[in-house]
Amino acid sequence: MLLEAKHLTKTFGGHVAVNGLNLQIARGSFTALLGPNGAGKSTTMNLLIGLTTPSLGQVSYANQAKRGVVFQNSVLDERLTVTENLQIRAQQYRHVARSKVAAVSAELGLTAFVHQRYGTLSGGQKRRVDIARALLNDPDILFLDEPTTGLDIQTRTAIWDLLRHLQRARQLTVVLTTHYLDEADAADSVYIIDHGSLVAAGTATAIKAQYAEDVLQVTSSDVDRLRERLTVMPTACNGDQLIFKLPSPQVALDILTTNRDLITTFEFRPGTMDDAFLALTGREMR
Amino acid sequence: MLAMIKRNLLLYFRNWSGVFFSLMGALISFVLYLIFLKQNMLSSWAHVPHATRLLDLWLIGGTLAITAITTTLTSLSQMVIDRERHVTADLQLTDAGSLRLQLSYLLSAAVIGVIMQVAMFVIMLGDFALTDHVTVTIPQAINVLGLMVVSALLATAVNAILIQGVRTVTNLSKLGSIVGTAAGFLVGTYIPIGLLPAFAQDLVKLTPGSYVAALYRQLLMTDQLDTIFRHTPAARLNFEKLMGIRLDWSGLLTQSATYHIIGLIFIGAVVLTVGPTWVKQSHQRHRLRER
Repeated sequence: MLLEAKHLTKTFGGHVAVNGLNLQIARGSFTALLGPNGAGKSTTMNLLIGLTTPSLGQVSYANQAKRGVVFQNSVLDERLTVTENLQIRAQQYRHVARSKVAAVSAELGLTAFVHQRYGTLSGGQKRRVDIARALLNDPDILFLDEPTTGLDIQTRTAIWDLLRHLQRARQLTVVLTTHYLDEADAADSVYIIDHGSLVAAGTATAIKAQYAEDVLQVTSSDVDRLRERLTVMPTACNGDQLIFKLPSPQVALDILTTNRDLITTFEFRPGTMDDAFLALTGREMR
Repeated sequence: MLAMIKRNLLLYFRNWSGVFFSLMGALISFVLYLIFLKQNMLSSWAHVPHATRLLDLWLIGGTLAITAITTTLTSLSQMVIDRERHVTADLQLTDAGSLRLQLSYLLSAAVIGVIMQVAMFVIMLGDFALTDHVTVTIPQAINVLGLMVVSALLATAVNAILIQGVRTVTNLSKLGSIVGTAAGFLVGTYIPIGLLPAFAQDLVKLTPGSYVAALYRQLLMTDQLDTIFRHTPAARLNFEKLMGIRLDWSGLLTQSATYHIIGLIFIGAVVLTVGPTWVKQSHQRHRLRER
């Protein structure tokens, strides 16, 4: 394990932000931390990074792993150019070569706008510069706090491709928080946090299989006859439509094949991360 | 540390409106003098020969002290801005160390303080040279330059104490307005210290900047005062006390005594600002070594 957190707890006054969290992050893995607003994601990140000291428990890294962090809001200066920003940050490290800025800029495709002021860049360009800044010291582990929030779908995809590429090319360990749950599908492991505690952990597929039900929606020419025949009860009935929440696609197939003469159209949707998330954290707004 | 100093300087000078507003206190003092105060004060000093030149130099001294105070404060604001924007957190993860970071903020503020004082000096002297034929000798100019460094360092150290308690940029701009407005009164530039009531005079004497202003005035005005008050030393003392050329601590302070006071304030301020950071950092180092 590159990073391990045991019984991680952080309290602010009487408020428990993080409550006895256990996390294990393997070298080269891609980990997503999910949770509603105020669930304790950012505090957890700060604890893992070492910016906050835990009230209880501990965070341990394998032999002096170097950390890179992309903060939720940019920490670079709007009035400085991309190169100036990166150069100044690079000089804050003892063992970062002068040529590093050019190398990272080339790797992340910043070359076209390195002489532009950071403040004049688009959201996606800024994000790439932020990531470049975090890579200056060749980190073993890269933390990103909501790296894709507020970006359009094209940019989000591009950022994710970049992160996956970095993970593969550099053997980089990536830990990120996100609000876009579909993004977690691409992660190797997912931790869902609520009220400062871990509510689910595992691969995205496993979490979906366990917590997200598949949805089958059928339209029938004779709803009453169909209902009489059914062995699985629908969760909702809407005119000539019946909606089922099912544990597996197999059950859906059974319903469809045994009643095909009564079904005019149907729609099947496998459970998503959104479903699992809502099932785990509830519908209440924070 | 050099990279951070360069950054802070770039950030200050690329923000033109910020540069202008950081000079506001000094510009107000200068313009106020040109438009309103000069005639008023001249009429009360009509019996003094070359009063115009004397007053021009007097104003330069006070205005430079204000410049140091307001520009270093603006530069130090970067510290609060960086804390609020989590730039400090980002820098904490580098090898820089909090002590070196703090020193880089302080040093860049001092450098900005010197540069802006030079700029104000050139502007004011240029104007007075054209209108009133005011001149400054080369040794005087060199001494003034040296004092600018002292003045910038002192203002930086004192402002660093003020800024320690400020956590948000909103409060920072409030502090900026207060300091900018008050500085002119507190160093005795808008109104000569001698015309103020006793309590206000004490306030002025509690302001570190007023000692700097006094030193500037001594440097710039001594030659003229020597000539004007050659035969009336008592009148000279009276004038020096009234105009804040030498501050009165049960007797007028000598130049070296004024320097001593400034030195003590500076050391005290540095201990109060850098001390806690130094203690914190050595604690951190200690904890890391224990692991």
